[in-house]
Amino acid sequence: MVEYIVRRLIYGVLVLLLMVTFVFVVMRAVPGDIVTLQLADSGASEEQIEVLEAELGLDKSIMAQLGAWIKGVVQGDLGTSLWSGLPVTEIIKERIPITLQLSIMSIILATLIGIPIGVISAVKHNSFVDHLLRITSVGGLSIPNFWLGLILLTGLALLFNWIPPLGFQSFFENPIVNLQQMILPAICLAITLSASIVRMTRSAVLEVLHSDFIRTIRSKGAKERVVIYKHALRNSLVSVITLIGLQVGYLLGGTVVLESIFSLPGLGSLIFETVSARDYPVIQAAVLIFGAMFLLVNLVVDVMYGWVDPRIRNS
Amino acid sequence: MSQVQVESEFPIKKNLARRTRLSRIKNQCIRFISTQRIGLISALFIILVIIVAISAPVIAPFDPVEQNREAFLAAPDVQHLMGTDDLGRDVFSRIIYGARISLLVGFATVIISIILGTIIGMISGFFGGVVDMIIQRVMDSIMAIPALILALFIAALLGPAVKNVIIALVIIEIPRFARIVRGEMMRIRETNYVEASRSVGANALRIIMRHGLPNMMAPIIVMASLAFGQTIIAEASLSFLGIGTPPPNPSWGLMLSNASRYMESAPWLVFFPGVALSLLVLAFNLLGDALRDFLDPKLSS
Repeated sequence: MVEYIVRRLIYGVLVLLLMVTFVFVVMRAVPGDIVTLQLADSGASEEQIEVLEAELGLDKSIMAQLGAWIKGVVQGDLGTSLWSGLPVTEIIKERIPITLQLSIMSIILATLIGIPIGVISAVKHNSFVDHLLRITSVGGLSIPNFWLGLILLTGLALLFNWIPPLGFQSFFENPIVNLQQMILPAICLAITLSASIVRMTRSAVLEVLHSDFIRTIRSKGAKERVVIYKHALRNSLVSVITLIGLQVGYLLGGTVVLESIFSLPGLGSLIFETVSARDYPVIQAAVLIFGAMFLLVNLVVDVMYGWVDPRIRNS
Repeated sequence: MSQVQVESEFPIKKNLARRTRLSRIKNQCIRFISTQRIGLISALFIILVIIVAISAPVIAPFDPVEQNREAFLAAPDVQHLMGTDDLGRDVFSRIIYGARISLLVGFATVIISIILGTIIGMISGFFGGVVDMIIQRVMDSIMAIPALILALFIAALLGPAVKNVIIALVIIEIPRFARIVRGEMMRIRETNYVEASRSVGANALRIIMRHGLPNMMAPIIVMASLAFGQTIIAEASLSFLGIGTPPPNPSWGLMLSNASRYMESAPWLVFFPGVALSLLVLAFNLLGDALRDFLDPKLSS
């Protein structure tokens, strides 16, 4: 198991390296950089541009810049923002908790909604309830989460005259205000995610319910509740957990739009703010963190298989 | 009797093959229509939207970008079925024209991604070895960036334009198609009929075109229909953030972004474009589900 984790980690680092190189090269290959943006209207001479480029380290070749940056990352230094001059590590540190909290809240909400509904849908297979739940879940997949956010905001404002408190506060500063600010975007993200959890749980539970061992357990006279929760659901969890792992990519992407609607200063809105400003070090770091989170979650998912399924643990 | 038939079939073999293929497609269509009711309704809805989008100038009561100073933020009434926006533009007409952008981005992205993804996946799956390894690492690293973040990154770098949105979304979708095609190609490569074909001297291109492509159409079609929905949502999200379709074009995402400033005074601005967007995506998702049930019963429960 340890060997497996180590192998996966090494592979993950390789993928991250490729990913960062891709981002690095694309960003610099596209016309327009921070120097021209900053000095666009000032009528700066060629010389001034060159001085500024040298100051920011943009005069070296792309590969040299990439090498220097990776060397810094390995030492825990993500560079400094080209616009604000603040260390990127500081900026990221401030932003990560918000995006993490939002993602975790959404995953918990989605699991709480999705798994029970999926089980009900599977148990009541082909009934009216099942059809209704299935159509609702496709509907949940089709509604863009940012529209859901707008509808929730509009509805609450019109009906109850309530809007989330302004001015972001962290959970440790003021948990009540923080939860009021976070719950709506979390619900929006959770609805799409729970829709796919419903679908996956339903088909996985159905498949297990049709297998031979369930027939054996039933014929031994086990209660239906035990059959479903102890045996069918437990054996379906592997596919549900895999799905959640894969959907984390979607979730992290969704944070960008929702953070921008609900004015949450998270990592997603950071990317959005800095890409158009061409703040290379910040974008690189943010993309790196997003990629690393995604890969880590999927590694954790693979490790969890062993925990859920003893057959994998012991092989 | 059978002797006679074989003789008469021989000279028209090519024609016959085409005829049987056509009638098979016809039979498939009839079977789809009779067994997948929801899929049929979704397909009809999508066709309807396509017709409306094409004939937008005829159907739309107003010019989608024409401003009307007399009717700012007018509530829905007989003249303006879905009200007007902050510049007095007719929302109903803008939604009809907006379908053009969603469909254009959807079709362009899905078709280009299928072509490029299939070529890459075929090369990877057919040749295997080092080529496969390099291609797969590159695909993995693209997929390691959350899709919308990658799209945002590319679209923001390239600047707001429909063309750039399509480029960004194609880059996201290519690895997904390539992965499916690669898997299918590796499976097909090992089958007896490919071995037989190879043993009589068929080259790589012939094997791919004659055996590879036809045998992987089912997963590609299902994937395409689902990718459509995701692409349309992604276009709307990018336009919503202001890095997709540039104003004053009537993109649904852009309309919603504009509407978010008038949520309380003009809620219809938030409502209608979102409904249009959700319905179109829903139709593609339901069609995708129906196609999956129909083409690959193994995949559905």
